[in-house]
Amino acid sequence: MKAKPQLELIYLDMTLKMPFKWNTGEPLGEFFRELKANEKIYANQCPTCGRNYCPPANICTRDHSRCNEKDKWVAVGPKGTLLTFFICEQSFLIPTTGEMLEVPFSVGLVMLDGAPVVLQHCLQETDVEKIKPGMRVEAVFKPKEERKGNIFDIIHFKTIKE
Amino acid sequence: MTQRVAIVGIGQTNHSGRRPYHNDGEVIYDAISAALADAQLSIKDIDNVIIGDMELFEGHSLNDAMLLDYTGAEGRSGFKMNTGGTVGSMNVISGWYNVASEFSDTTLVIGWEKHDEGPTTSAITTIWDPAINRPFEVGAISGLAMISNAYMTRSGCPLEVGAIVRAQASDNAARNPKAHLRERYTVQDVMSARMVLYPLNLLMICPTSLGACALVLAGEKKARKINKKPVWIRDHATAHQVTRGMDFMAEAGKIDTSMTVTGRKIFQRNHITKPMEEIQVFEMYDPCAFCQPAWLEEFGLCEAGQGWRLIEKGVTAREGSFPVSPSGGTLCTNAIGDTATVRVAEAALQLRGDAGEHQVTREVKMALASGYGGMYWTDLLLLSNTLD
Repeated sequence: MKAKPQLELIYLDMTLKMPFKWNTGEPLGEFFRELKANEKIYANQCPTCGRNYCPPANICTRDHSRCNEKDKWVAVGPKGTLLTFFICEQSFLIPTTGEMLEVPFSVGLVMLDGAPVVLQHCLQETDVEKIKPGMRVEAVFKPKEERKGNIFDIIHFKTIKE
Repeated sequence: MTQRVAIVGIGQTNHSGRRPYHNDGEVIYDAISAALADAQLSIKDIDNVIIGDMELFEGHSLNDAMLLDYTGAEGRSGFKMNTGGTVGSMNVISGWYNVASEFSDTTLVIGWEKHDEGPTTSAITTIWDPAINRPFEVGAISGLAMISNAYMTRSGCPLEVGAIVRAQASDNAARNPKAHLRERYTVQDVMSARMVLYPLNLLMICPTSLGACALVLAGEKKARKINKKPVWIRDHATAHQVTRGMDFMAEAGKIDTSMTVTGRKIFQRNHITKPMEEIQVFEMYDPCAFCQPAWLEEFGLCEAGQGWRLIEKGVTAREGSFPVSPSGGTLCTNAIGDTATVRVAEAALQLRGDAGEHQVTREVKMALASGYGGMYWTDLLLLSNTLD
């Protein structure tokens, strides 16, 4: 059945706005406590297969072993090498805040020094000509009094020359 | 207690960007009616109904219950399938399990989406781990952009190959009346499109479409009686991959991806040693322009680093020696919950010789269809038009 275009179009407007409290679980909570208190980024390794994780994993996704022993964690970064990136030029709605994304906004996957792991975070640089996979970057932390124990305790990764 | 399973009815709506006068159920009903008509069956002949569901996309949950009148599932068995981007293929695979086990004789499988009702990219952003990834992801496009960038760095694939893929897809979609974006583009047109997420511009990412696709599956005892051209689901494989922190990217190019795992399983189990000769067409779930070159390699169809070279040579074109997504693929039509069902439907149409203007030029006896999503989860199905 074909609708006649002159019909008034009736929509139901609907906005979902629902607060959640998400539990981090043990290793991720400790990862954020270290980020907040000591500016340390930690990674760990599966004792069975040797796969590396950042943030530290509780259970290895490859072989299902428990691997969350804090005394075996290693501090990685804050320097690292850019593996890949994107630059967002178009603004989209952020579902968790209801605000629009400020663009340009660039994000990289950074291979952190010290273990074969990546951390995903914003890049300070947003000019495509100045971002190249393989370039060296370093995490910039917020001042201690502003850190809250979440991923935003790192502001971004800045480009460094070595 | 097992039986072989065939696709005996195929129905698709036309896909478009908006359909404001119709609700979700009305769109679905069109596809179901078309599939039942193709099978010359009525809803009374169906004993089991499986519907795909994408959480949050239309702003409500429990679609299987809300849409019961339109799906015809009342009094019948069935369930909703909810695996993210692979919903559309996982509902076919679930239908296969139901029919192969002889639990059901005739299963109706429904994939659908109505993207004009909400902010899809924002809904997709909620798939990411809230503590680590979500603040740094933009729907599905961001992950695809990073995968594309990493592939280009690793393989030497130039940006222009993405434009070749999209220009080729546009020519295919122009021939397919069910496709959403049917305008023809040149490589130059694609290269000059507005940037959305570097390296992906507006034409290098899939659109947000609305539409539905339904399939009727039947066991071998019934299949030939229902349809003279049954398409057999010969095999299928699924693989998951961890995406927390996108940490698999640390080992990209060195470890097996979900594509590699599913490709290897399908080829080994079916004794396929030269997949690009023994299989004649691949309807790939290709949500961005660099998926085809990267995933031809990862599925094990060609050597690492060769995917983009095959595309440059025209191998994957509709009239090429190994056509990929001759329907125009996901790059031209993407009603997400129906996208992977459409891949199976389009591969089946190629096997029946019923694809019309976008029928490939080479004779098709065996076809692949894939589903993707999750993130980085893969379903791969092997279809054929005979049981030989």
